[in-house]
Formats: sequence, structure tokens, C-alpha cells
Amino acid sequence: MIEIESKPWHTMVLHAERTYPNECCGAMLGRILSEKKLVTEAIPLENAYAGEKGARYELHPKDLMEADKAARSRGLDLIGIFHSHPDCDAYFSQTDLQNSCPWYSFVVLSIQNGKFAHAKSFLPDADQTQADSEELKWQKS
Amino acid sequence: MAKILIPTALRQFTEQKDSVEVNGGTVADALNQLTAQYPNIKKNLFNDQGKLRSFVNVYVNDEDIRYLNKDATALEGSETISIVPSIAGGAAGVAEPEAAALTNEEIARYSRHLIVPEVGMEGQLKLKQAKVIMIGAGGLGAPLGLYLAAAGVGRIGIVDFDVVDASNLQRQVIHGTRDLGRKKLDSAADSMRDINPNVQIDKFDTSLSSENALEILKDYDIVVDGTDNFPTRYLVNDACVLLKKPNVYGSIFRFEGQATVFAYEDGPCYRCLYPEPPPPGLVPSCAEGGVLGILPGMIGLVQATETVKLILGVGEPLKGRLLLYDALGMRFRELKLRRDRHCPVCGDHPSVTKLIDYQEFCGIRPAPPQAVQTEGVIDVQEVKRKLDRGDDFLLIDVREPHEYQIARIPGAKLIPLGELPKRLNELNPEADIVAHCRSGARSQKAVDLMKQSGFKHVRNMTGGILAWSDKVDPSVPKY
Repeated sequence: MIEIESKPWHTMVLHAERTYPNECCGAMLGRILSEKKLVTEAIPLENAYAGEKGARYELHPKDLMEADKAARSRGLDLIGIFHSHPDCDAYFSQTDLQNSCPWYSFVVLSIQNGKFAHAKSFLPDADQTQADSEELKWQKS
Repeated sequence: MAKILIPTALRQFTEQKDSVEVNGGTVADALNQLTAQYPNIKKNLFNDQGKLRSFVNVYVNDEDIRYLNKDATALEGSETISIVPSIAGGAAGVAEPEAAALTNEEIARYSRHLIVPEVGMEGQLKLKQAKVIMIGAGGLGAPLGLYLAAAGVGRIGIVDFDVVDASNLQRQVIHGTRDLGRKKLDSAADSMRDINPNVQIDKFDTSLSSENALEILKDYDIVVDGTDNFPTRYLVNDACVLLKKPNVYGSIFRFEGQATVFAYEDGPCYRCLYPEPPPPGLVPSCAEGGVLGILPGMIGLVQATETVKLILGVGEPLKGRLLLYDALGMRFRELKLRRDRHCPVCGDHPSVTKLIDYQEFCGIRPAPPQAVQTEGVIDVQEVKRKLDRGDDFLLIDVREPHEYQIARIPGAKLIPLGELPKRLNELNPEADIVAHCRSGARSQKAVDLMKQSGFKHVRNMTGGILAWSDKVDPSVPKY
């Protein structure tokens, strides 16, 4: 289970809505507790995909490295990646799967007509062949 | 000691340590030490073949080792090594093949490109990510397909519906003798894959039409026109203008060729050069007029060169210039072309905003459903019987003298179609006359002409000398 505190959740939704109609992406920092992963901070990152960004995103590895450094410096862990699907359900697409990494939770936010609609979290496998869904909770402020 | 930073998810394999100190002269040594010390981390970083998993990037300090010396990158001992996954995705359902890097096999293969500064790693990746579609896998398509595949163009579409015929082999070097009768698509794809198995080849087993052109071409960056007929040429041109894709054009005839890049940036299109098609039948195709077998090689490679230049973004594209090549004089010339502001497709106020009926535009009407013609025609077997019986009739051959040298029917009188109007006085309008040519098309024109001139008993030998070879005398060669 992954739970997102209200402040980072607000950051993620805002980033996704402001980036609409393009896809947004970012990193989630927090702590891995015995019963759940707790996200305490979200870092919006640039969508580095070179082409049309309406249905694609790419994280710049250096940004991810910086996010990991930020986590270490604050005694946190980099535990997940989030991105949005504009006008599209929050599912783990073939593109998502084939460019994923099994080390993180992948939270997908569905943004419909510029507004947050729903979200899901996924755990892809190492061979990038399938992703299990992960229970996702967020705290409302 | 160099320090390897361990991502959170992998700390379960490193006794929860967030970094591990290692010795080692290179990145490979350092990673080997890490996996020797913590064996369970290995399958998270390496696949079954022992290669780093596709999503794993290794950074030494702030540099990706792909741009250093890969896993042979030397370490002094004070570096921080980071393991950073590459992550991407998106709602788009179909993943584009990721071409973020070249494999070692590709680096070896493209070595002579990689050491050219204008290509280099960046250019080779552009080639790998490029999507080019060739219209036709014939004379021009043959060198194009071979060289674009060899150059490492990542995805190549081919549109062709023809099969390999013996008469193709004199110039269509992508097909071999063993391919006779095969689809050109299959034969071309086999040759290209043999040269470079990394290339994705999309086969479109169809003739390009107004109905399918936009759909087929839309997924590609560059269109290369290797067609031999006017309706398709105008179709490709208009589709490229509408889709805003460059059209790398080439055409050939006997010893002369032309090439240019149409519909690129602010440059002209084919219609700026030729607003109207020539009347049907005026400009002969290769099948009708013949072609020096090497010529399409020359022009196809000009097209391949321009295609690769456009992908790399280097040099001066052949835009606004029509390159003319004369093999007999061995001369290249150039004509300046300008975009026509009044062009119906690419002009300031275009009147053609969607694809039209190009057969009609080029004055080619679909043949009306033909009632089986019995008037004015005769089949080859009947002609043979007439000859054997010694009937009193005249067989005239309306082909050209050089064709007559290749194959002839004994007893036929040679009067090339072009000379026929002047030489009608040699013939008796009351006589029983049969006309033949190679396939029956020109001799039909001869029959029509003679009938209009008052000849009473003229017939066309259906199928021409080709049918004669098939049904009467196989020793007569087909050409």
C-alpha cells in the first residue's frame, strides 16, 4: 500500500492540472514503513520527452538523480514516480510498462478536461512485461 | 575507494546500506565487486545475459557512462557512482522503440559513420529513430532500400504490390534470380534484413491510392518516391504537401535521370514544376521505353543521399533545385525551381485541399468493361494456322527495329508504328492484314489507324509476341 500525505498530493494534482493537456511527471519522496509506503514530499520534474508531450513523458535521468540526492539529504527515500494521463484513464499503458523500472511505485493521475479525475498506483516487474496494481490512498487537506 | 549509491528499493539486498564502498579500476570492476559482495542485487541490475538491464543507467559523478567509456570508464577511487533508472511512459498505447542508445553490435556496424563528425553518435541515433517510407521497390527502390537499411535508418516502410519478373533483374538489384515470382516486398525485405537485421521493415502490399495514402504515409518522417507513373507521382506529391512531409523525388528514362526534394520547408512541389500531367502515352515508362540498368542506381542513390542528409540535418538539401543527369554525356546539370505562389496544392491559396482522383487527373479512364472482342482481333494460334496453311495474308510487326532484333515471328514485315502513317501506301487496303507488336497495345493503335484509313480486313494479334512465345513457339524470347 502507498499513502500520499495531503501536501505532496496537492503538489502532484496541481502539477498535473497545470501541465494539461500535456503529460506531467515527477518524483515522490517519503519513508518505507512496515505496513505502507508513506509519501511526504512530491517533486514536480520536467517532461523531457523530445516529441509531442500530449501522450508521452520521459524523466531526465539527471533529474531523477537529483531527486534521489534530495531524498538522501533529508533522510528520506525516493519511493515513487508519478505522471499524468490527460483525457485518458489512469491505467498502466504498454508505453508505461516498457519504459518502467521495478524499483518504484508508479502513480498515474487521470486528468479529464484539465481537472483531476482519479489515480492508481502500479508496481511493474523487472522484465517490463506486467505491472501489479498497488493500493493507493491520499490524504485530503 | 569509490562509492556506489544504492537506490532505496535495492537496499534490501545490501543489508539496508544506502551506499557501498568498492575498489576497482573501472566501472565494470566496481559493479562486479558490488554483486560479489551482495549476490542478490545482481538480477536487479543485470539480465540473464549478464548485460545491464535496459532501464539501468550508471553515472560516474554527474556523467552518464554511455558518454564516457561505458563500463570500461576508469575510476580513480574518489568517485560517486549512481545507479539511475531511465523512466518514461505515457498514455500512448503503442510504445515507440526506444533508441536512446546504440548497442555494441550497432556501434561496431556503424563505426565508419560514428567517426565522421557530421554523423557521430548523435547522427546515428537520428538515423535509428528515423522513419522513411519508399513508394515502390523497383529500380529506384532497390538501391534506396539497400543503402537506407545499411545506413541504419530505424524504420523503413515499403509500398509495392508487384512480383519479381525476369525483366526487373537488369536493374532492381535488391531482388535476385532466386526471387523470380516472389512479391517484391518480401524479396526486398529479405535483402534489407540480411544487410541489417536492426531495421524495422513495414510492408504495405497495396498500390498507393487516394483512399489509403494519407493513412499509410502519416507515420513516416520522409517519403521517397520511386514510382514510374504520373498518377502515383501526383498522388505522392499532394499527400506529402498535405501532410507537410518532404518528398524525395527521382525519375529515370533510358540514359537520363532527375532528382530533387519537393515539399520541404518553403521549397516547391512537383506541381510547381509540372502543374499538368502530360497526355497519357506521351512519356513512355521503363517497360515501354527501356532504361539503362545502372541509371536507377545512380538516381536512387541521389535520393538515398538526400534522405540521409535530411535526417541528419547536414549539408544543403536538394531543395529548389532539379538535378539533371545525363549518363551518355556523363554530366550533371541543375535547374532552379521556385515555389509557385499560385500552385493549386502548395500555393498561397490552394484549391486542392484533399486527395483527388489521380487517374482521372492524368486523363487515364478506367477501361470500360470489355465485351469479349471478336471483331478485329485474332489469337496467336489462329495466326500460326494461317501461316502453316500458307494463307494469303500479310503479318506486319509494328515494333521498333531494335525490338525486332531481339525476337521476331518469321514472315512478319517490320513497319514501326511511328512510320506506319507514311507507309500505308505500301499496303493494299483490300488485303487480309494482321498486325502485332510486343503485347498487343501498339498493334491495336495500328489497326485503328488502318481502319480509319479505309483498310477493310485488319486484325490485331492479341497478346503480341509475348503470347506467341507462350502459346506457339517458346524458343522466341520474351523481353
